Amino acid sequence: MAAIAPDAIKRQSFRLVMWLFTLLTIVPFALLLLTSLKSKQDLFRGAFALPAYPHFENYVSAWVDGHFGTYFWNSIIVVVPVVTCSIVLGLLTGFAFAFLSFPFKRSIFVILTIGMMVPTEAFIIPLYYEMRYLGLLNSYAAMILPQIAMSLPFATLFMAATMQQLPKDVMEAALLDGASRGLILRRVIVPLLKPAISSLGLFLFIWTWNEFLIPLILVNDDAFRTMPLGMLFFQGRYTVNTPVLTAGAVLVIAPIIVVYLIFQRKFIEGLTAGASK
Amino acid sequence: MAPVKLANVRKSFGAVEIIQGVDVDIVDGEFLVLVGPSGCGKSTLLRMIAGLESISSGEIAIGDRVVNDLEPKFRDIAMVFQNYALYPHMTVERNMGFSLEHRGHSKSEIAERVQWAAQILDLAKLLDRYPRQLSGGQRQRVAMGRAIVRNPQVFLFDEPLSNLDAKLRVVMRAEIKSLHQRLGVTTVYVTHDQVEAMTMADRIVVMNGGKVEQIGTPLELYDRPANRFVAGFIGSPAMNFLPGTITRAGFEAGGVTLPLPGPIAERDGQDAVYGIRPEHLALDGEGLEAEVLLVEPMGSETQVTLRLAGQQMIAVFRERISARPGETIRLRPDVAAAHLFDAASGARLN
Repeated sequence: MAAIAPDAIKRQSFRLVMWLFTLLTIVPFALLLLTSLKSKQDLFRGAFALPAYPHFENYVSAWVDGHFGTYFWNSIIVVVPVVTCSIVLGLLTGFAFAFLSFPFKRSIFVILTIGMMVPTEAFIIPLYYEMRYLGLLNSYAAMILPQIAMSLPFATLFMAATMQQLPKDVMEAALLDGASRGLILRRVIVPLLKPAISSLGLFLFIWTWNEFLIPLILVNDDAFRTMPLGMLFFQGRYTVNTPVLTAGAVLVIAPIIVVYLIFQRKFIEGLTAGASK
Repeated sequence: MAPVKLANVRKSFGAVEIIQGVDVDIVDGEFLVLVGPSGCGKSTLLRMIAGLESISSGEIAIGDRVVNDLEPKFRDIAMVFQNYALYPHMTVERNMGFSLEHRGHSKSEIAERVQWAAQILDLAKLLDRYPRQLSGGQRQRVAMGRAIVRNPQVFLFDEPLSNLDAKLRVVMRAEIKSLHQRLGVTTVYVTHDQVEAMTMADRIVVMNGGKVEQIGTPLELYDRPANRFVAGFIGSPAMNFLPGTITRAGFEAGGVTLPLPGPIAERDGQDAVYGIRPEHLALDGEGLEAEVLLVEPMGSETQVTLRLAGQQMIAVFRERISARPGETIRLRPDVAAAHLFDAASGARLN
């Protein structure tokens, strides 16, 4: 029997472990997708049994009866301004931290970092009273404004860090070319940071889309509920109809996957930016 | 075009003074090269002229304006960077026209100026390309094009040829020089390559440790270096140095006596360093004995590393040399071209 090289064994075991982890990640999603296409009867034939034909009516049922149509648009109404405003503000504040000198720069930077560490649970009650005082409970603003504020520390640090990695002499060349700060940001930095902006946008999209506590506490009118919150109340109503329930879950995660696939290339570019020349 | 005047310019980072009082008058239309080893402050000085670094004290004037507190964009200068610093997301045409776009120039005027610069630099066919689609030499030409479209008063070059290969460097060196001759704009050029400095400069400023060691034309620096540092820095291969003592009989070093350049009898007994350039050592049957260590034929000349008076030295001969390592040859220094430096201060004695 030919001896197997230890390197080959190492490589094969590594592959095996990787495949194991891949399956661990994919199988629950595949099961979720499979279940969402089954009828109630198919369900009793086993978790991995294929349905006779795909039951897309589960999705229609979730979208219409489960109000996912409303929840979906509510999520879009909240996510778009949060992501857009956070990116624009993050670019401005990131630029300031990366290139400008101003009083208490370090202290403000530390405060921003702390802002990222504090969990929502720690300030949700004061936030509730604040929103009530402002008369914003049960409104889109109640979900949008706090989430912009919560996204800003990360957006600032992320943008500042990426801007600092840009070639310094390109900025200096623009300065010598007579460009103002605003023009340098708009015409030089933003185009160069497109991959990083895409990555940031994707992060913020995922976080905002999945945000649960803020809409749960600050909104109790079904007309303003977002997807994750809608899922919670949908679960309460449809515990007996697992296929429709899983169709609802797929509807919640599908936009994230679609957005990721669209920005995938830029996202990877952003993650690896600066790794090599 | 404008003269540039640096008067007692200093720069400190905390307690460390990295530019220690530099005075240079750059004449209108002059090509001045700042040269020195890494960390000598030459790039910092250039960036101070550009306004990219503040100055701690002193005065910088461009034309008749003191520009100490003036932002870079108001100094009417253009700079070419070592890494080209092109805008990667803009075409060659937009790169070159960018500085004109926000200075109130019309589109037709910008196009005209870009075309003019592109013609001069042979970039007309590359205007639609992006920097990533260009070779190193082409990128450097775009960087120069970006500088000349603005018709600035002063050009600043920060080691622009460092990233190019040896052959292209020679070509670009000639291009920069001919561009200067054509446009006549005052130019300050930073390099650590003394060959670049010698071939391009009207005058050279040799810097070391934040100070100016000597200012002069290339041949002044080569023929009469003010001190041992300049003597060793300018010239390739570098000048040979022999430490020893000045005596009435000549310069005594390592058991041999060399002829002294000039009447310096009053320095009898003084410790000094004898400097002789490699091409000023000639073969002579009556000369000093030297052991051959290495022979490097270059074609047009032969470079021989040898040991003379206990010191390793280099000699360059135009004629073919048949000597082999280990053999002994006899050499005679050209006394008229010899240099003497003070052993302690390094200052020139003759």
